[in-house]
Amino acid sequence: MMSTESALPLISSFNLRKYFPIRGGLLSTRIGDVRAVDGVTLEVRESETLGLVGESGCGKTTVGRLMLRLIEPTSGHTYYHPSPEVLARLEALYATLKGSVSDNGHGPSPEAQATLKELDEIANQYSLYRMKHSKMKELRGKLQIVFQDPFSSLSPRMLVRDIIGEPLAIHHTGSRRERYQRVGQLVQDVGLNPEHLWRFPHEFSGGQRQRIGIARALALRPEFIVLDEPTSALDVSVQAQILNILKKLQAEQRLAYMFISHHLSVVRAMSHHVAVMYLGQIVERAGTEDLFSRPLHPYTQALLSAIPVPDPTLKRERIVLKGDVPSPAAPPPGCRFHTRCPAVMPVCSTIEPPLIEVRRAHWVACHLYPPSGAVPGSSSGMAPAVASEGDAGAGVPLAS
Amino acid sequence: MPAVAQPTVDRTNLPTVDVAAPSATQGGTLTEPAADAGHSPVVLDVRDLRTYFFTYDGVVRALDGVSFKVRRGETLGLVGETGCGKSVTAFSVVRLIPDPPGRVIGGKVLFRGTDLLWGLDSEARIKIDEKTGRAKVRRSFRRIKTALERMSAIRGRGISMIFQEPTQAMNPVFSVSDQLSEALLLHHGTSIVDELLNATPSGPQVRPALEALVDTARNGAPDTVRAAAAKVGQAMNSSTFGTQAFYLVSESDLGPEDMVRRLERVAHRLRLSRIERAYLRQRRRQMVVEDELHELYLSEMREGHINRRQRRVLRGRHARNRLRGFYYGIWGIRGRIQRPLRDETFWRSVQRLEEVSIANPVQIARGFPHELSGGMLQRVMITMALSVDPVILIADEPTTALDVTIQAQILELMRDLKRRIGTAILLITHDLAVIAEVADRVCVMYAGQIVETARARDLYQHPLHPYTQGLLSSIPNLERPDKKLSSIPGSVPDLIHPPVGCRFHPRCPYAMPICKEQRPPTTAEGDEHTVACFLYKGDVAVE
Repeated sequence: MMSTESALPLISSFNLRKYFPIRGGLLSTRIGDVRAVDGVTLEVRESETLGLVGESGCGKTTVGRLMLRLIEPTSGHTYYHPSPEVLARLEALYATLKGSVSDNGHGPSPEAQATLKELDEIANQYSLYRMKHSKMKELRGKLQIVFQDPFSSLSPRMLVRDIIGEPLAIHHTGSRRERYQRVGQLVQDVGLNPEHLWRFPHEFSGGQRQRIGIARALALRPEFIVLDEPTSALDVSVQAQILNILKKLQAEQRLAYMFISHHLSVVRAMSHHVAVMYLGQIVERAGTEDLFSRPLHPYTQALLSAIPVPDPTLKRERIVLKGDVPSPAAPPPGCRFHTRCPAVMPVCSTIEPPLIEVRRAHWVACHLYPPSGAVPGSSSGMAPAVASEGDAGAGVPLAS
Repeated sequence: MPAVAQPTVDRTNLPTVDVAAPSATQGGTLTEPAADAGHSPVVLDVRDLRTYFFTYDGVVRALDGVSFKVRRGETLGLVGETGCGKSVTAFSVVRLIPDPPGRVIGGKVLFRGTDLLWGLDSEARIKIDEKTGRAKVRRSFRRIKTALERMSAIRGRGISMIFQEPTQAMNPVFSVSDQLSEALLLHHGTSIVDELLNATPSGPQVRPALEALVDTARNGAPDTVRAAAAKVGQAMNSSTFGTQAFYLVSESDLGPEDMVRRLERVAHRLRLSRIERAYLRQRRRQMVVEDELHELYLSEMREGHINRRQRRVLRGRHARNRLRGFYYGIWGIRGRIQRPLRDETFWRSVQRLEEVSIANPVQIARGFPHELSGGMLQRVMITMALSVDPVILIADEPTTALDVTIQAQILELMRDLKRRIGTAILLITHDLAVIAEVADRVCVMYAGQIVETARARDLYQHPLHPYTQGLLSSIPNLERPDKKLSSIPGSVPDLIHPPVGCRFHPRCPYAMPICKEQRPPTTAEGDEHTVACFLYKGDVAVE
């Protein structure tokens, strides 16, 4: 799980928001919003895996789809291969923006307006969501996804050969013969036999179908793959096969993954960095070892302690959270976790905690870790962790 | 506790699963509750159970000789991958296999010594054509109907069940309390009616008790209020009124005099009119006959022959009673005369919901299934299953549809209930980690057969069967993430044409020539540890 120092951000998202309208009433007017994703800042580095963890309904999948522009965001931007200069500028701008405007203020101040304008210009040039259709289509080959349910993500009327070859055909890659050669190669990469090419999806088991889905995602030699719960529909013995294949492919082809899962042990086995989501927001982000050995946010702690361990001799202290996840249509004010938090304070129900860097490359959004003097040199807490000292040994607890 | 028997097998060439844990000998010296369970009586004894599904493609041998025992107060885990027959086992035990296409075709399910599969052979004649693999099944629907009738004496009070999808297991058009009440009335009907008939809403102690309750409610802690409410219940001979009074007092902000008057008004409803009493007595008679019928069914199953004369008498009484019950219906005021019973069962279901630590049981009881979250519904399901105090609870993947934090809540609840009630639990899941948390003993299933049975600790520290070993090492472990995941090659076989011999041999890393020819016998490898594999040559387990 070593993250290399030199790894550059491959794809970075800033302040992503996605509100789904709730329609109702006489003219089906907008009567509310489901805040599926509410201000998520993320980055995935070259040939690394970012694990995205959270309970069902917390917006994991929506983030994954936003980052590939499979759906358009309500606000926020994603940059693919941002140059270091642009990235540095963006971080500075978002930092000043966070410092100058509060979320519920009455419109931006003049200097904030200037910042917004500059952000807009950068977005016009580089943001994934402002790209032209033709340019986007080119990029789609580099940004791929493997879906959760292998039973509904493959067309039942196409041969495996055509399913895997379809992206190649759409992007007019090579002649037909070359395409089929590539398909044959891909099928072997994911551990299927060439004879499987002439079958239909219904002839395969769940694990084999998921391999087909992975082969399809790999067809155009992508750099970034969103793995949206790729193993949650599979049995453990098959899950291990799929995870091993994914790891092997990552090592061979220098892929970057975003691994979305609710299963923490799988995320731990796969990821270099982990972000924990709760109700549309990221509550904690850190290197894998750091997060799992020293979780800071009470939600992460509860989540970790709730996982059953396949060993009856290990008896751990268990934090059992009370109640259910609140509805994202009406999220609680202040910290969204305060209704279930075991360490709740009065301030939690009024002020929303910002995501701040409490230790090196360990970001947490919780009032238990006050921002004042916590991290020298980075007072506003919105810039993503660029320095990659995300490993357990390097993380020195800086919070007093 | 006897020590672990020395395995006679040569361990040198055996696979080792490096689970850093104490050695085998320690497993034998345990004096955990699990060890005590070894001496408690067997409540469910399944022997050589076979369930086949007769489909157009051929006969699916979903269960092929499954044997296990569940003891009182014990949790037995049943683990395996998708399609290995875990759920089919559960459904076969309570005889809920959809027929057609499925049928239990052989074996014994002894529930406290009573064979639930009694008369199985007479229910259908089955001919399997060995060449084509097709089967002819001729069912005697009358016999099947009586068999299912007999099962109604077992289901609920004897064996109760929690299903995987709580949203699909509940009826969407009835409120939670209605569905809980149904179970309560079916199984505790007579005692509910008796309590209602014996309530004394205007006894001499009632008024002082009410005043005391209102007084404590004004400044007391919830516990003291609850105690005062319980006293009111005692004074009125009706524990449900105590509960009702507690919620009335704690929810409203009336002045003390008004509150007492209001409580008295509510209590007044318990003063039954003549027709209400008549109706309740009628219901009671009906319930008594139903109970007698169930008793008869049970004794028939135990003794192995049908007592036709008594059965005819009881059925006749039952039919006449139901007709008389109908008479109350055509008055057109059925809703009104049923109201005392409805209220009584409503507050009983609230009491039951309180037991599973639901925060606001009154609202939940009034609610409909679609208004509740999955975790909450699963609690309701557990309440429903346990409200009849079953001897055995079968939980079929109770936490699979839930998030980890909710799963932790539900597992905590099940553990707590087991401690309190002492119900035996048959826990079915594909998640080895969940089993490790809850189960005392574990059976590992593969392709319709049980390959290994052991105490939970033994199984996780010393898995014997290659399948169990593979399964355990393929779980990503949170505590030791650096270990490379090993996986079992291949996938679960098709059960229409299962592999000959040991069903695991095509995926087994230690497959020997004999594995392809013979089915391995189940052998005992140490204390309460049995395995079906040719690698081990212990004593053949007596089953």
